[in-house]
Amino acid sequence: MTQLTRRTVLKAGVLGAGLSLSQLLRLQAADPSQQDAGRSAILICLKGGPSHQDSFDLKPNAPSEYRGEFRPIATQATGVEICEHMPQLAQRADRFSIIRGLTHNLADHGIGMRYVVTGNRPIPTLKFPSFGAVASRTLPAAEDVPTHVAIDEDLEGPGYLGTQYGALATGEKPRANRPFSVRGITLSDGLSIDGFNRRRKLADDVDNLFAQYEGLDEEVRGLDRFSQQAHNIIGSPRTRQAFELSQESKTVVDRFGTGETGQSLLLACRLIEAGVRFVTVIVDGWDTHKDNFKEMRGTLLPEFDLGYSALLDRLQDRGRLSSTVVLASGEFGRTPKVNGGAGRDHWARASVALLAGGEIQGGRAVGASDDKAAEPAGDGYSPDDLAATFYDHIGIDPSREFRTASGRPVMLVRNGTVIGGV
Amino acid sequence: MNRFLFTCLIASCVTATAGETFPPASVRFADSNASETPDFQRHVSPLLGRLGCNGRACHGSFQGQGGFQLSLFGYDFQKDHKAIRSRINVTKPDESLLLQKPTKVVEHEGGRRLTAESWQHRLLERWIAAGARIASTAQLKSLEVEPSEIVFARPGFSQPFRVTAHWQDGSVEDVTCLCRIESRDDSIAAVDASGHIKATGRGDTHIVVSYDNGVIALPVLIPTTDRTGDAYPQVTARTEVDRLVVAKLRRLGIVPSAVCSDEDFLRRVSIDLTGTLPTPSEVLAFLADDSADKRDRLIEQLLKSPAYAAWWANRLCDMTGNNPFRQQDGRIGHELARQWYAWIYRRVADNTPFDELVAGIVLATSRSDDQDYADYAKQMSSYLREEDPADFAKRPTMPHYWTRRTVEKPEDRALAFAHSFLGVRLQCAQCHKHPYDRWTQSDFQQFTKLFAAFDYGIRDSAKGDFERLLKSTGQPLNGNQRGQVTQEAAALAAEGRTVGWREFYFNEARSPHGTTDVLGTRVDIPRGSDPRTAVMQWMRERDNPYFARAFVNRVWANYFHVGLIDPVDDLNLANPPSNRPLLDHLSRGFVDSGYDMKWLHREITRSDTYQRDWRPNETNARDRRHYSRAIPRRLPAEVIYDALKQVTAADADLVQVRERLDRRAIGHLATRMAGTYTQRVFGQPERLVACDCERNNTPSLLQSIFLQNDPLIHARLADAGWLKQIATADSPDERQLIRDAYLRTVSRLPSEKEAKRAQEYLTESASITEGLRDLLWSLINSKEFILNH
Repeated sequence: MTQLTRRTVLKAGVLGAGLSLSQLLRLQAADPSQQDAGRSAILICLKGGPSHQDSFDLKPNAPSEYRGEFRPIATQATGVEICEHMPQLAQRADRFSIIRGLTHNLADHGIGMRYVVTGNRPIPTLKFPSFGAVASRTLPAAEDVPTHVAIDEDLEGPGYLGTQYGALATGEKPRANRPFSVRGITLSDGLSIDGFNRRRKLADDVDNLFAQYEGLDEEVRGLDRFSQQAHNIIGSPRTRQAFELSQESKTVVDRFGTGETGQSLLLACRLIEAGVRFVTVIVDGWDTHKDNFKEMRGTLLPEFDLGYSALLDRLQDRGRLSSTVVLASGEFGRTPKVNGGAGRDHWARASVALLAGGEIQGGRAVGASDDKAAEPAGDGYSPDDLAATFYDHIGIDPSREFRTASGRPVMLVRNGTVIGGV
Repeated sequence: MNRFLFTCLIASCVTATAGETFPPASVRFADSNASETPDFQRHVSPLLGRLGCNGRACHGSFQGQGGFQLSLFGYDFQKDHKAIRSRINVTKPDESLLLQKPTKVVEHEGGRRLTAESWQHRLLERWIAAGARIASTAQLKSLEVEPSEIVFARPGFSQPFRVTAHWQDGSVEDVTCLCRIESRDDSIAAVDASGHIKATGRGDTHIVVSYDNGVIALPVLIPTTDRTGDAYPQVTARTEVDRLVVAKLRRLGIVPSAVCSDEDFLRRVSIDLTGTLPTPSEVLAFLADDSADKRDRLIEQLLKSPAYAAWWANRLCDMTGNNPFRQQDGRIGHELARQWYAWIYRRVADNTPFDELVAGIVLATSRSDDQDYADYAKQMSSYLREEDPADFAKRPTMPHYWTRRTVEKPEDRALAFAHSFLGVRLQCAQCHKHPYDRWTQSDFQQFTKLFAAFDYGIRDSAKGDFERLLKSTGQPLNGNQRGQVTQEAAALAAEGRTVGWREFYFNEARSPHGTTDVLGTRVDIPRGSDPRTAVMQWMRERDNPYFARAFVNRVWANYFHVGLIDPVDDLNLANPPSNRPLLDHLSRGFVDSGYDMKWLHREITRSDTYQRDWRPNETNARDRRHYSRAIPRRLPAEVIYDALKQVTAADADLVQVRERLDRRAIGHLATRMAGTYTQRVFGQPERLVACDCERNNTPSLLQSIFLQNDPLIHARLADAGWLKQIATADSPDERQLIRDAYLRTVSRLPSEKEAKRAQEYLTESASITEGLRDLLWSLINSKEFILNH
């Protein structure tokens, strides 16, 4: 078999040519240096669509039926104000940047989120990959660590890149003082690592039909390789420990917040520290059609304030913030006018996102919405622009091309422009 | 060349008569005195394509490049001409950017593409000097290439070739130097600097030649061994399929593997035909049967089983995109998906001719012309009735294909239709000329018009009845929810009430009529007639290039790891079949059999070609496209899900675990299970996009993690009826149980050595059930289980 040279590898990278499974296997075998310990990223999906005008884009001068109940407060970043219910983030506003005036027109949870987490407006003929899937493809992790972990699920999946770039989805969210098991990693009741290994030895002896023909077909090679890697991950102390939130002190657990939001963000930090390259965190509950202010003030904003600020602190303390880009965004914003049930409904014309880590300077608020937070002031930014910016900061060229299974070249983000000044 | 003579030649170009072939432009413009005026469409535009100017990375990009944009792969002559006009100087041709950029007189990001004294430069210069005009679009009649096939004895050889363009006006020109030329596989054949085709390796591939809207794939073959022709061993070809496969193998010097064992055949054909593993008793009975025709009889038996109808109904649901979350009446999406599946299931079970089945979908409207609205609403509601529901599968047509949110727009209908029934991808032609087929944007637009005159809503004549019903049931009267079958309405229908339904109907007023083009064929649409009728008629023509072929090809791909054409939903001129006579034989046979699906399954599975061993011999280890051996394939997601239930079931439950199709992923459950974690991990298509690539059978890390340690695997083993049955048995026979474990999972008996190893493990285990649980786990985690081999 021909060895792939470094040059071919580079060429494949530059052209963005699609890699078949067999090429991928050869590449990874030939070039372990690809697996540098460098960049990583976290995507926080604020699922349901957070009310932008009640969090990071307040309009205190708008008429009362628009502006809502909350007041803005000054922050560490000069001239940047956020909602009064996020005091921790106000103190750390120099470490993240706010993107305002994000805009699109898909005010449905499913397709709206699909648009935001792929950076491509959904079309009926092609399924675009999520951020995490693209990271899995371009930033492989070490042998005994999964590349992309989703807490608790990956909202969009690998699309045209193929199932081999799917996320390890935990299947549930962690919470303090409650047992947490991770789909595929946690061993079931009664099975120890020793028991698992004993069984695995039997499996190795049983699996002999293709002995002498291992190199014959890529299907066989792929199974052998992935089976070994799965065994490594399941048996890996560092992967198992990364999921063990009980190893954290009560102080740390409390610092993040004991609910699902805080503990999921704590888990994200631990995974990044263990070498996972991309973590997707789903934070639910933002679909506040009713009692928007009560929900926001009562749980949503305080939990996010605590968890997100703790995440920034932790990444910084462990020296990871500069290599980890963190994006937080919902699928859209909420209606400018408060509805009869003190709630706000779906609104895709304006929303906000936060970027931190990597080379994000922080302390900036770029873009703006109009005086009622209804429309972007000016052209605004599209989910495509947001995606291009995120990819650019992770070190993935947003104009890079991939080939679909059918050989069609597709640009990663087709219509996005990197947002400057963040 | 004498200048006078040359001018005569050129002059006659304009009035050329059939038979004369003009020499290539590279010859005509070699002379610095050449005075011919090149034509924009015939010469300038193809030359720019040949030089790479209108490629995707260059000026063909949708943003253009350096402020200069050409249509991708050419063919939008007016637009390109306009773009070029701004970059030329007719009075001083040399100062035209069109010449200065590619020669790098002026900085050009795309590098040097032209040299000053070349024929290419001269051609462009002459065109500019003559006024840079554009004539009206000419029609290319055909593109021809000589020779029509190239066979090289071994790598290193090369050969010239010639491409001629035949125009509608009778003129013929050698356009070899103006074509875009690409090899399908550079490691087998490539085009060298002198324009000759060169053998760079062994095997077979195609050189794709494009000019104007013509595309030709020129086959090139280099035998992989010297065992060709007379040196080829005697290989029996039992069936026509075998004969055609071996004919190709003989030319390539590849000897097929032997026919596989009975165990392998039983497992393989059970999975492929019915999505189901054989049971231990089926394996033992098949092995004990020593009649000569037992394989053929097994095929017949499987074709009669309900699992056959279920598996293939779901494959047809894949092709047609049956997804419960994509219906416009989303609240009852699951009900509609179930009806869709049931409608197809009935027809597969009855072996309804494939063309009839498809016509029932293609020509569907919600109600026929002679059905009034009240009756229609009553009928639709009756399918949801809880007590004694009416049978949807009895309806002659199945309109749900057309009532999906994903096909609301005519262009999306056109794309979906081309994918489902023709295996053609028209997406490219939506925005630019198809790079590998003759489709232009205008072809796409004409095709789209056929699907424009349809609505999902309510006809004016039925508005009164419709609104009365909505009021009586409380369904929304206004807004974009108008007429939706809400959950409340569905509940009323379940009680037997009639609720309001929107309908999919043909809107005559917007319909095209007269003669129109359906992907290269002229068809006539009478005024007031549903254009889909004409399309269906075209599809049913015996020599239709797509309809039967697309299905035959997809069925073939179910049995082998690739289609004869691959990807299976990409029938285009530059993607020729790996064995054209074979695809021709199967397609023609399928049409002649009256579109008998069972004929097709039989014709394939009865062949030795399908029944080959996967083990290679010294000639065919690297063959993956010519069917000289079986290529192991990962089990489909639905089959894995069902198999995991089956291998752990108690003996007493084995029959019902297999036959309760309403609980099987290959059966009624498929639409509900698509999108769940397990099914996503193993690549079951969610039927969200019009692409066969949604089904993914590639191994992955997550699949291995799943099989080794997913809670579902642990639950299946922990709740295994088979293990419980053993735990309560009086004196279990360990040898027998080890045998059963093998028969249940890998459908064969264990070897002595394997039985011994398992026996040892059982002895070391805390209990016999624990030992067997681990043995089952190990077998499930073997490649032999997860691969169909």
